[in-house]
Amino acid sequence: MQTPSFKGTKLFDRLCWAKEWLEPVQSDYRVVFEDSIDECAKILVPDPNWMACAMQGGILPPVWVYHELAKDEAQPDFKKHTRGYLLHETEPMPAMTEEEAIEYLILKDCPADVVANFDKGNRKTLVICRKEQLPQQRTWRNAWRINQDLAA
Amino acid sequence: MAGKIIADTIETGAGADISTSYVVNGSAKAWASWNGAGTLAVNDSLNLSSISDLGTGNYQMNFSSSLNNDDYAYNFTGNGRAESSRFLHSAMDYTVATGSLQMYWSGSLNSSWGVAYCDTNASLAVIHGDLA
Repeated sequence: MQTPSFKGTKLFDRLCWAKEWLEPVQSDYRVVFEDSIDECAKILVPDPNWMACAMQGGILPPVWVYHELAKDEAQPDFKKHTRGYLLHETEPMPAMTEEEAIEYLILKDCPADVVANFDKGNRKTLVICRKEQLPQQRTWRNAWRINQDLAA
Repeated sequence: MAGKIIADTIETGAGADISTSYVVNGSAKAWASWNGAGTLAVNDSLNLSSISDLGTGNYQMNFSSSLNNDDYAYNFTGNGRAESSRFLHSAMDYTVATGSLQMYWSGSLNSSWGVAYCDTNASLAVIHGDLA
């Protein structure tokens, strides 16, 4: 299905269109990351409807838009967003492959300091894997760490 | 979009009317259903980009279209327990941001024991508020 021209259409309306017309895509990819030495490994799970939007193209804004909004929110006097128009008026991203969508999602939803430094220390703190590579039971979930052999 | 209807009110056949702003402002802006047992999986959602599994009973919803401020309303509930002996007691927010919402789910081993974080087979969340 061809994506309609969403110029000037609010992002939420685009997402509602996608929800109605696109088949969800259940990705097998998972992103495992560690953002604190005192905490367990964390797992980013892509949303199937979002993945469908990413692979369809013409719906999601570029990831820098979210970074700009995050900068605004980090200001000490932040009360509400005044640049929400960036979400709605910026030219949407073209269609992505599943792998490109995962890379976009890492930039959007993983902590920025993890993304910036994941390969700079003496252990990997971010890996992309398939869900069958994760433990199937949640026993000792709060002690999970990234397998460094997997990260190599 | 192919077409647009602009209206200030919606009226039923019986003559009862309501301002469209009630619909625009009162509709849920995000919702999600996911299975927190085993390997986490999102069942269905609206306005979600991903869920972060942060530990036992600890999840973060990441939104596609951010909320306008961090004073939005949210409601969580759970159906079933990942550990069969646990009673689900409550879910509460932990970190609220315009682009994400982190929450904890807790339960006890029986109705009188202490509460601990736990996973649920079906986790459900609904968000109401203004979009950015």
